Amino acid sequence: MERIGGIDPARLLRRSALILILLLAWEGLARLHVFTPFLLPSLTTVLERLAKDTMTGQLPLSLALTLYRALLGFALAAACGVAVGVLIARVRFARWLFDPLVSVGLPMPKIAFLPIFVLWFGVFDESKILMVAFSAVFPVIVATAAATENVEKVLIWSARGLGTGERRLLWEIALPAAFPQIMTGLQVALPIALIVAVLAEMQMGGQGLGGDMMQASRFADSPGVFAGLVAIAIAGSALVKAMELIRRRLLVWHAEAEAGY
Amino acid sequence: MSALRRYAPLLLLALLWEAAPRLHLVDPRSLPPMSEVAVAWWRLLISGDLATEGLSSLLNLLAGLLLGIVIGTALGVLMAWYRAIDDLVHPLIRALYPMPKSALIPVMMIWLGLGAASKIASIFIGCLLPVVLSAYNGARGVDRVLIWSARAAGASPREVLWEVVLPAAMPEILAGVRNALALSFILLVSSEFIIGQHGLGYLISFLGEGGAYDAMFAGVATVAAVGFLADRLYLLAMRKALLWRE
Amino acid sequence: MAGTEISFERVSHTYRPPRGRPVPALEEVSLAVREREFMALLGPSGCGKSTLLYLLGGFLPVEQGQISVGGVPVRGPGPDRGIVFQNFALFPWKTVRQNILYGLEKQRMPRAERERRAQEFVDLVHLGGFEDSYPSQLSGGMKQRVAIARTLAIDPAILLMDEPFGALDAQTRGLMHEELLSIMERRPKTVVFVTHDVREAVYLADRVAVMSARPGRIKEIVETGHEGRPGPEIVKSRAFAEKVDYLWDSVRKEALLAQAQKAGGA
Repeated sequence: MERIGGIDPARLLRRSALILILLLAWEGLARLHVFTPFLLPSLTTVLERLAKDTMTGQLPLSLALTLYRALLGFALAAACGVAVGVLIARVRFARWLFDPLVSVGLPMPKIAFLPIFVLWFGVFDESKILMVAFSAVFPVIVATAAATENVEKVLIWSARGLGTGERRLLWEIALPAAFPQIMTGLQVALPIALIVAVLAEMQMGGQGLGGDMMQASRFADSPGVFAGLVAIAIAGSALVKAMELIRRRLLVWHAEAEAGY
Repeated sequence: MSALRRYAPLLLLALLWEAAPRLHLVDPRSLPPMSEVAVAWWRLLISGDLATEGLSSLLNLLAGLLLGIVIGTALGVLMAWYRAIDDLVHPLIRALYPMPKSALIPVMMIWLGLGAASKIASIFIGCLLPVVLSAYNGARGVDRVLIWSARAAGASPREVLWEVVLPAAMPEILAGVRNALALSFILLVSSEFIIGQHGLGYLISFLGEGGAYDAMFAGVATVAAVGFLADRLYLLAMRKALLWRE
Repeated sequence: MAGTEISFERVSHTYRPPRGRPVPALEEVSLAVREREFMALLGPSGCGKSTLLYLLGGFLPVEQGQISVGGVPVRGPGPDRGIVFQNFALFPWKTVRQNILYGLEKQRMPRAERERRAQEFVDLVHLGGFEDSYPSQLSGGMKQRVAIARTLAIDPAILLMDEPFGALDAQTRGLMHEELLSIMERRPKTVVFVTHDVREAVYLADRVAVMSARPGRIKEIVETGHEGRPGPEIVKSRAFAEKVDYLWDSVRKEALLAQAQKAGGA
């Protein structure tokens, strides 16, 4: 069989067939008015809308706002989560204090606290970012605590044997060794941060992709809703992809560092 | 005694919740004392609101989740087993998987209106994706010698699918369902916030907008507790089902 | 019932990894295994001896040449050829008894008969008392005894064994050899036994087929010359030591060749 770059072209076609068919069906059904334009605006209408909103600067602004809230919340969750996780693994008092709180907090649907966050912090950025951080912090804590605890004893012992002090032990041995598992926790937390950022915008308003979608939906502006969906989906994919790339990058470094010892 | 020691931080938190507003360290309107929230919860229970809205939530959650589990498992296993289905469906699943699932809710509102159907559909689609991928990975990871052993014993390919591939993939499928369970609560509560009409999420935002903060806190606590218990019960059932692992 | 003699005629097989170049695994292998013979396939790792077994089992399609059992070409797996794998391949979600019952259910055996037969094979491999244990609760040797019982229970005319004792420690392996020989004495079968352990091959088999480095070919076939069932005492005999020495040299050359190939090819 003819192969291009190791990929069989027939297979490539098969692999993109369903997506192409769905996109064509979307356009076709909308054009043939099988569904009303309200139920299903055509693909081209939605793309035009995306282009128009990009030109006017509304879409880039909303995108930036949503990413700002999601990523700042995520960063807050990452910083607090890693700190608390390390404390749980290394300090007995911290373990006693946080362990029950975390084991109750992790499986709890945090989104239910949204009205409380509105009550406490209002409806502006502060409130949204804190809501994102609160939702995303638990998987980071759990992953970090487990990872730091599971660092192989022989690694710690041999570092001590080489004369590493307690403080440097954490930074130079325990955290790098625990890093892959911590990264996995962060990879769980990132999609949560995005989901919650969009939800918080939908509930609290104040622009952003989620807010725009709700606004469009309220005004029965279905091209706006679909454009929002497409924009959010692309933003989500890009962030998840970026996280995978970062992981690969950092873990290559990690593996090399280990081999170099 | 050791249980008391273990859960003491939770008790401390409860104590703080009671004392802080009473001592006016925080505004009692922002944080009603725990005892008042408990009283409000009791009133909600007696009035029947909790039961009515809770039932609505439960039914929507179960409908969306079960649909997602059944269809997701079937699709994932079939993708792993038939190359043609994998080629067709996998790119679509891959493309949709990282989408923040909350964005589905406004679209479902347009398609299905402001009712239970929109909530169920959002939960269904949100839960479908993680279940599909876990079933797919589980079924792909089945050791070929297990399949060969069954074939050598006289099992047909279809029997192998049901009797070997599905049970061998079960640990991964069940782990995926646990993620789906967590996601279903998020989508349920937020779709009730946004769409309204019925459900505990609706009850919470209705009470909050009316300024009945003690009752609102009671609603939030109920949802949090139910979500927590659901996860714990699921975990117990999962351990039991996977007893063969050790 | 047809005979159980096995013939490989000019069988070639190419392994095609999803990415990368195709690798010729077997080249023009011809071999005849007699009825009720214990044939060992001996060779360095990667010589394609397991592939040959999988082709005979019907798990991989025969692309070139022909494999037949009792004169009938092999097309796909069947209960006439039972197989035991190195890593046991037990269904981890089934208990010992359920694992053994599985094949019997596939043979549509009536329930009472099934239960009786399963118990008989549990006893045959000395696992009474562990019927309701899961594989994860058993030691390696016990797992392999379950796998053997599961395969023998459906009474295949031919037994295929893919380095069945390779994952066991030395003591357990010795015990399993005795157990296998004693079972074969009571229920004689045609056996094709893949191994890279020279002593194991000489001890268990009637004939040993030595395979070359990749692509695998039959290099030579050696009669072990046991009279009747071998016992632990023959290990100390001069004849046994000489056979082992001879085969060890033969395999060692192929192993070195295989290593050189790997170093050159990678």
